[in-house]
Amino acid sequence: MTAKKKLIALFVLIVFLHSFVLFKINFAQQVEQEKTGTIQEEASEKIVPGPQGIKESTGLYVFIAWLWLAILVLVYVLRLKIKEEDRLLEMRFLSEKKK
Amino acid sequence: MKEKNVKKDIRSWLDERSGLSAVFRFLREKKIPQHKHSIWYYTGSAILLFFGIQVITGFMLVFYYNPTLEEANSSVARIMTEVPLGWIIRSVHSWSASFMIAFVFIHLLSIWITKGYRKPRELTWMSGVFLLVLSLLFGFTGYLLPWDDLSLSATKVGTDIPRSIPVVGVWVTKFLRGGEDVTGDTLTRFFGFHVCILPIFLLALLAVHVYLIQKQGMSLPLDLERKEEKVKELPFWPNFVYREMIVWLVLVGVLFTVSVFFPPSLDKAADLMAPAPEGIKPEWYFLFLFQMLKIFPAKILFMNGDTLAVLLILLGGTAFFFLPQIDNKPAERKGKMITVIAYLFIIYAVGMSVWSLL
Amino acid sequence: MKLKHSLFTRRQFLNGLLGGWLGAFAASFLYPVLKFIFPPTREPEEVILPFVDFQDMEPNTVKIFAWGSKPGILKRNDDRSYTAFVAVCTHLDCNVTYLPDQRKFYCACHEGWYDENGVHTAGPPPRPLRRLSLSIEGENLVIKREGVE
Repeated sequence: MTAKKKLIALFVLIVFLHSFVLFKINFAQQVEQEKTGTIQEEASEKIVPGPQGIKESTGLYVFIAWLWLAILVLVYVLRLKIKEEDRLLEMRFLSEKKK
Repeated sequence: MKEKNVKKDIRSWLDERSGLSAVFRFLREKKIPQHKHSIWYYTGSAILLFFGIQVITGFMLVFYYNPTLEEANSSVARIMTEVPLGWIIRSVHSWSASFMIAFVFIHLLSIWITKGYRKPRELTWMSGVFLLVLSLLFGFTGYLLPWDDLSLSATKVGTDIPRSIPVVGVWVTKFLRGGEDVTGDTLTRFFGFHVCILPIFLLALLAVHVYLIQKQGMSLPLDLERKEEKVKELPFWPNFVYREMIVWLVLVGVLFTVSVFFPPSLDKAADLMAPAPEGIKPEWYFLFLFQMLKIFPAKILFMNGDTLAVLLILLGGTAFFFLPQIDNKPAERKGKMITVIAYLFIIYAVGMSVWSLL
Repeated sequence: MKLKHSLFTRRQFLNGLLGGWLGAFAASFLYPVLKFIFPPTREPEEVILPFVDFQDMEPNTVKIFAWGSKPGILKRNDDRSYTAFVAVCTHLDCNVTYLPDQRKFYCACHEGWYDENGVHTAGPPPRPLRRLSLSIEGENLVIKREGVE
C-alpha cells in the first residue's frame, strides 16, 4: 500500500470515528428532548458533567492541545522509524537474495 | 557504552530463568502480509487497546462505585461531582466501551468478508463469536450500574426478552435478574458479572483466540492465497508494531477528545415503582435487535410474535457461529453468496438502528 | 565548536526521540489518574453545633462531636471554659479517650498519654493533640480549624 493510500485510509478512519460520534450524539440529544418534553423538574435533577469554572476548562483545553501536539510529533517520529526499519528490511532482503 | 551492558545483563538474567527471549524471537519472526486488505489487520489490536482502557478506567471507577440499590446512583454522582476528574474517567469508560464494540463489529465483518475463518481458523472464529457475546454482555451489564431510570428500563426490557424462549426462557430471565423482577439484587448480580465473572471468561477466551492466531499466522484473503507468487510480508516487530502504534495514538487521541467534549450525564436514581419513562432505548449496539422485536406483531399464526423473533435471532446467531462449516466452498457461488449476506447484514443492521431512532 | 564525530548515531537519536515523547505522552496521563486515585482529604472548614447540647457540661468532662470523618473532643475546663481537640492520637491515628480521674488523654493502642491540655507526656506520641479554635456565636458553638478566620 502506497504512502498516499495509507494517509487516505487514516483520514477515512478518523472521519469514520467522528461520524460515529455524531450518530451517538444525535441519539443522546433525542433522549434529552423527549425527557424535557415530559416532566420539567426531572431535567433539573440530571447531573451534567463538565469542567467547573474557567480554570478547569482552560486546563482541559490546554491538555487536549498538548495531547494532539504530542500525537503529531509521535506520528512523525514513528514514520521516520518506519522508513528506517523498512529500509533495513529491504537491505537484509536484498543481501539474502544475493546469497 | 556501559549503559548497553546493564540492559544486556538484565535481559540475559531474565532469559536464563524464563526463556523470555524465545518470545521476542517469535515476535521478530512473525510476519504480517501486506496487501490491499491489510488495513483490517489493525482492528484486532484496536479492540485490545480499548479493552485495556476499559480495565484501567474500570479499576479506577470501582474504587468509588457502590453496587447497592441505595448507593449506586449517588456513588456515580459523587464520582462525577466530587472526585477530581471523575467525570472524565467515567466518560472515557463509557466511550471506550462503544469504541470497543464498534471495532468488534468491524473486525468481525472484515473476517467475514475476507473469509478469514477458512480452515484451519474455524476455532479462532468460534472463540471470536464468544468474545463478541461477552463484549455485548459487558456493555449490557455495565449499562445498569448507574441505576437511573433509563438504564433500569433498558434492563427490564433486555432481561425480559429471553423469557420468550420456550422451556428455558423463564430460567434465563430469572438467572439474569436474580428473581422474577429487576431489583437491587439484579444490580448486585450485574455488578458481579461486569467486574468479576465476565472478565475471567473474556480473558480465558482471549488467550485461546490470541494463541490460535500466533500458532496459525495471519490469514490471507482467498484470492491471494490461490496465487502462486509470494505476498510481501512485514515482520511484526518492529515494522508492524510501529505502524500499530500510530493507529493506537490516533485512537487514544480521538477517544479522549470525544470523552471530554461529550461526557455522559446522569439522571436521578431509578424508582422501581414509577412508570416507564418515554423513549426507552438500549445502547446503540442493541438497536437493530430492539427494532426487530418492535416490528414483529404480537401474534403470527399460532406463535407468539416475540418468541418467533427471538428464535429467529437465535437461529441467525447459531448460523453465524457455524459460518466456517457452512461456508465450506468459499471460492464457489455459495461462498460468494455468503459474502453478499455480510453486506446485506451491514445494510440491515444500520437501517434497523436508524429506524429505531425515528 | 564543531565535533569530529557525532555524539550518537541517527538510530540512537531517533530511538531517544521516540522514547522521550512516548514517555511524556504516558506521563501526561499519569497526572489525572493520580489525581483521581488520591482525592483531597475532606476535612471541614468549620463545624456548627447547637450550644444547648454542651452548656450544661460539668468541669473536667468531655463530649465527642464529629469533625468530618474524625472524632473531635470538647472538654469543659475547671474555669468553665471550653477547649476542643481532634481526638486522634498523633502517633498512629487511633482515637483517644479522656480519663477524668487522672486528668489525662489516653490512647489505648500503644499506651500514649497526653495531659489535660493535650500536650503529650508519655508513650510514643510525638506531638500534642491538634487543637481546634472555638467560639460561641448566638445559639451555636462554632468550631474551626486553628488559624482559619
